[in-house]
Amino acid sequence: MSDLFSSAGLAGDIERLQRQVASLFDGFPTSIRAAGSGTFPRINIGSTDESIEIVAFAPGVDPAKLDVSIDKRLLTISGEREFPQREAAGDDMRTYAQERFAGRFRRAIELPQHADPDKASARYADGCLVVSVAKRESSKPRAITVQ
Amino acid sequence: MSDTTELARKDEATSETASETAVTRRDDERAQSRVTLTPPVDVSEDSQGITLWADLPGVTKERLSVKVHDGNLYIEAEAMVPTPAGLRLQHAEIREPRFARAFSLGADFDTSKIDANLKDGVLKLTIPRHDEARPRRIEVRTN
Repeated sequence: MSDLFSSAGLAGDIERLQRQVASLFDGFPTSIRAAGSGTFPRINIGSTDESIEIVAFAPGVDPAKLDVSIDKRLLTISGEREFPQREAAGDDMRTYAQERFAGRFRRAIELPQHADPDKASARYADGCLVVSVAKRESSKPRAITVQ
Repeated sequence: MSDTTELARKDEATSETASETAVTRRDDERAQSRVTLTPPVDVSEDSQGITLWADLPGVTKERLSVKVHDGNLYIEAEAMVPTPAGLRLQHAEIREPRFARAFSLGADFDTSKIDANLKDGVLKLTIPRHDEARPRRIEVRTN
């Protein structure tokens, strides 16, 4: 049965399933590469009418060892954070807690269709990496005049 | 100034989905007593004293407080991420921009000489021992 609100057949079922899966997440499409939200660095994503803003909470990373790349629509943030103890490793140094992440990391974010990878910028300040990706002109909101 | 905190603020708009209600409810209960994140720390000790590193991303010197009171060390901080106006949060792994953590210090530490250094969102605290509490090698003389 087909009506104005739901399409019939297998295509409709798949579409419905996709919607349900998508609703399990935060609203932003989550790709298979973006699994594991407990990992380092934590990421927040927001958008304005003009751009998509991605914040990676990556304190204590040397900006020279931070790599941000966009391949087609996949934004990848990777790098390395070193053990701080190594810089002052004396013979008598004892470690009681090692909760902070150390080592190599990689996070990938699938950008939406309307993102423009050619207009992206990244800056690192106070331990936060902010990546800003512009939206395509055609996807920006515009008023439609009623005649 | 409200725009700058938007990326780290709790997102009411997406908290309606069924999968999130349990998490959201727990958040609300904790919200009564000002929800804070516990920053991960590394703690090491050598003969001079303790060194502590804490992850505080998005925290500037102005929004960080390190206090010693009654032999306890308190670290409190608030993150601020500059973002453009009119931002709508769509995915958040950090929802509360406030950090807090406390430690008790033994009497052998010289709390008046704690050194705090904040760089790239990492706080490094060095807590020296009292001179008399430092291990000393005692020279053995033979007559």
